[in-house]
Amino acid sequence: MRKFWVIFVASISILLPFLCNSFSPEIPTDRRVLVLLDDLAIKSSHSSYFNSLKSRGFDLDFKLADDPKIALQRYGQYLYDALILFCPSVERFGGSIDVASIINFVDSGHDLIVAADVNASDLIREVATECGVDFDEDPSAMVIDHIRYAVSETEGDHTLIASDDLIKSDVILGSKKITAPVLFQGIGHSLNPVNSLVLKVLSTSPSAYSANPKSKLSTPPSLMGSEISLVSVVQARNNARILISGSLSMISNRFFRSGVQKAGSTTKHEKSGNEQFFTELSKWVFHERGHLKAVNVKHHKVGETDEPALYRINDELVYSLEIYEWSGSSWEPYVADNVQVQFYMMSPYVLKTLSNDKKGLYSTSFKVPDVYGVFQFKVEYQKLGYTSLSLAKQIPVRPYRHNEYERFIPTAYPYYGAAFSTMAGFFIFSFVHLYNK
Amino acid sequence: MARSLAGFLVLLLVVSICEAASLFQPVSDSHRSAALELFTPDHGSFKSLEETYEALRTFQIFGIEKKPDVTASACRSISETVGSSTSTSKDLFYALKANSIAECKIHETASKGIISSLNAAVSAASSLLDFYYSVGGLVLIKDQSSKDDIHLADAEGVFRSVKAFSQSDGRWRYSSSNPESSAFAAGIALETLAGIVSLASSELDQSLISTLKNDISKLFDSIEKYDDGTLYFDDKLVDGYEYQGPLSITSSVLRGLTAFAAVTTGNIDLPRDKILGLAKFFLGIGVPGDAKDFFYQIDALACLESNRVSIPLILSLSSAVLSLTKKDSLKVRVTTVLGSNAPPLTVKLVGAFSSVSKDASLVESQELKFDQGSGLHILNDLLKSIDVGSYTFVFEVVLQEPEDEKVYVMGSQTKVPIFVTGLVKIENSEIAVLDSDLGSVESQNKLDLTAKNDVSLSANHLQKMRLSFQLTTPRGRAFRPHQAFLKLRHESKVEHIFVVGNSGKQFEIVLNFLGLVEKFFYLSGKYDMELTVGDAAMENSLLVAIGYIELDLPEAPEKAPRPPPQPVDPYSRYGPQAEITHIFRAPEKRPPQELSLAFLGLTILPLLGFFIGLLRLGVNMKNFPTKPIPATFAVLFHVGIGAVLLLYVFFWLKLDLFQTLKVLGFLGVFLVFVGHRILSHLAAASAKLKSA
Repeated sequence: MRKFWVIFVASISILLPFLCNSFSPEIPTDRRVLVLLDDLAIKSSHSSYFNSLKSRGFDLDFKLADDPKIALQRYGQYLYDALILFCPSVERFGGSIDVASIINFVDSGHDLIVAADVNASDLIREVATECGVDFDEDPSAMVIDHIRYAVSETEGDHTLIASDDLIKSDVILGSKKITAPVLFQGIGHSLNPVNSLVLKVLSTSPSAYSANPKSKLSTPPSLMGSEISLVSVVQARNNARILISGSLSMISNRFFRSGVQKAGSTTKHEKSGNEQFFTELSKWVFHERGHLKAVNVKHHKVGETDEPALYRINDELVYSLEIYEWSGSSWEPYVADNVQVQFYMMSPYVLKTLSNDKKGLYSTSFKVPDVYGVFQFKVEYQKLGYTSLSLAKQIPVRPYRHNEYERFIPTAYPYYGAAFSTMAGFFIFSFVHLYNK
Repeated sequence: MARSLAGFLVLLLVVSICEAASLFQPVSDSHRSAALELFTPDHGSFKSLEETYEALRTFQIFGIEKKPDVTASACRSISETVGSSTSTSKDLFYALKANSIAECKIHETASKGIISSLNAAVSAASSLLDFYYSVGGLVLIKDQSSKDDIHLADAEGVFRSVKAFSQSDGRWRYSSSNPESSAFAAGIALETLAGIVSLASSELDQSLISTLKNDISKLFDSIEKYDDGTLYFDDKLVDGYEYQGPLSITSSVLRGLTAFAAVTTGNIDLPRDKILGLAKFFLGIGVPGDAKDFFYQIDALACLESNRVSIPLILSLSSAVLSLTKKDSLKVRVTTVLGSNAPPLTVKLVGAFSSVSKDASLVESQELKFDQGSGLHILNDLLKSIDVGSYTFVFEVVLQEPEDEKVYVMGSQTKVPIFVTGLVKIENSEIAVLDSDLGSVESQNKLDLTAKNDVSLSANHLQKMRLSFQLTTPRGRAFRPHQAFLKLRHESKVEHIFVVGNSGKQFEIVLNFLGLVEKFFYLSGKYDMELTVGDAAMENSLLVAIGYIELDLPEAPEKAPRPPPQPVDPYSRYGPQAEITHIFRAPEKRPPQELSLAFLGLTILPLLGFFIGLLRLGVNMKNFPTKPIPATFAVLFHVGIGAVLLLYVFFWLKLDLFQTLKVLGFLGVFLVFVGHRILSHLAAASAKLKSA
């Protein structure tokens, strides 16, 4: 019996740091990351990327993708906060992992990074398709650009692309501008146009196309021009984040260190933009940036402080909330000028932009509409790259009571006058009638 | 494991995406900068002596001036380890290894103590690693000190006991109790045995050496191969056992082989292309990002560079892309794996094959000229006979000195993919709208495809559009680019792409709009046109706007396919919405207050008329009772009426209906009573008057 206690206490003390560090709404940054590789050599050839993750405090668990012992969850609890799939050629995952379990993992709010490459397996394509990204179906197709390629001494087939067509979003790519072009060599994908959750982060110039560089084209390529996305991100409605790259080699040390010169341009950059691009992108994917929370949602009548149970039509009210952004280590006030509140019953009756005090407090005041019913205060905040805020608070609105209307209306004075003069006449008449002789 | 190897292969292919003929570059400056980056000491010293050794060794191979603070701190930890009596033979081994490069001073007494303890360890050793560390340590001391008196007492016995671990397939076991054999252990064993041979006081039995050479060739029979010709050693992955990975295993075998070849006199017979395949393996992995892997790679390459079996030579090109316009010349460099110069040799270009038609070589076999200053082999006038396109060049290297043949190894033929680029001439480009039935030209426009065009055309669905141009290579031949697309983009951003076909030099595309109506989703309107012509061999690849065509297509029938949805601009998708303010019900319109007051005055007028009428009639109060009691009742009756009227005023001003009715009830009873009294009094008085 004593032995069991020892084991129990030991296991708790081993697990405790993990339990404390795991993903929570209060500390949204991921901690434990499972990295699935085709080959352990990727660990060394992509070490710059992994080291930058490790130096930011992530606990990386490297496994071969076909390792029979890998699992995402045990006893209904997820063992990891995020998953990195650097295994473009895996045909079947080992252990209990399959496409459905990866999608469930994302559906429960965890993050995913997928890197495909030329000859990516059907399994990886399927994972990408589930995320709203369709890779070129031709297995040997690569993205080719004969105009905006990267000048290279050893490769002349123009599949090494230098792209600087990045998404304009500080929250996704960091506030520091990526000056050097990003090198890419791999397969392109297209995004489903009806899917509003997936975004192109790195796209191509209009002259690019996706085809097999070694065979002549007789039919138009399936992907062409700015339709091609090289790297895309998904921000799901549950704030899970997904990064999908059509190239694994663009994350490698070789591409991180390599210099880059765009065809037709004379400026030669010492270092490609890949390292900065992926470091910043991983900060976003792992919720070190762009994760918002709203607290202290309050509303009250002007001049009061308590929240009433209901409002009367035409009341003046004040609505306020506080929004903070997670900076990776603490919650910082979020400053923006486009947070809007709706006063909503079937459709918005009032939609107003909130003003902020630069310390995270957003507030506005408006007059309750002269329509009674059950309303909602709604904040549906969506901004490119930020997690969405969706707050709703129900509040009834009543009409005027009988004694709250206007009492003496000047227009009615003739009626009053008529009534009172009749009364006065009657009073006089009662004397005249009774006592006149 | 097989799958993970396949993955490794993919990685290799990614690292050198080329055709079957891949090009391997010798170690370059990027390795040097990576070495400094990977081996950065933590607070002036490395974590362990093993790491210190790896860093120092890598710096030594690259000839990087090591930082003095590294050496100083390394020396401190070396002398600590050496001086301590509790150090294991493994610690001593790495301390001595690091010292072989750092060259610190080791105390005489300490070194004596080590020798005795290592000797004791040799005699007590039971596993391969025990032998490896203790024998290795002794060899290092012997090399570092000038003393020649370090010998193994029973070299042959030790040799035999190490040899006992060998297996029939050339691999070795770590200990007699462990049945697993590995190639990694084979490398360690070879290094150990080489140490024993060098420590032996007398010549060892030659039969022992020759069986060992036999073992080595057996080991090389089990070498594994990738598709691109690189070779490596690997072990089976055994559960719960420290698996090393192909890089460290191959590195270990090479180290053992080099050490053993250095101490034996005879020739070790190994297929030379295997050594070359190993060299390609280490060069093919690029720059590892892990310090350990980096050390294995560089150490193995250094072994290849200096071994006695055969030194591989690597052929590399300064540029695989040759430009006709810049008149680039073909420059080839032949070096060892670490980039030092090769012995005198001649490089021949044996053939050049086009990637399209692979049958005949396009050039005569010719020799490249050697340029002493730059160390390059150059062929200048090659490009005169070759057109643009992608080629595979085949090179042959012949060593000038026949003795060098024994030392160096070089692949018989090296295939290298080459791209020859140039300016492609674009001529006779024109665009025209044709009438369908007659084929007569309705409007024709000349185009200049080097600049933006601004053609405006219009057509209906019964007409055709024809775009044509000619492409000629600098040598005057027909050129067929990989990419020749015509793109039509409707105002609604629906795009249609057509491949422009060719016959010889002439490129032509005819769009018959009648057949394309359905494909165009019956969308009439302006279509912008863009032509893209591009190829890897074309230096003037272009993407040029042609102009637009105004199409007049028939109305869509009901079941016509709808155009696909177009992606929404992400920047506008998340923009703030327009503000909504509620429109309040407007208050009812009222007449001006003066009008109300005027009418109020009018309502008073009848009362005034009433008063005037009364005065004119000459009303009097003569009927008022004179007796006190009826007079009291009369007064009370009128006060009561007045009170009721006043109550009505209060009801108007502030009272509600219930309060009013309550008071009115009391007043009513009172009024009935006093009213009855006064009215009956008045009635009686008037009856008395009538009867009288």
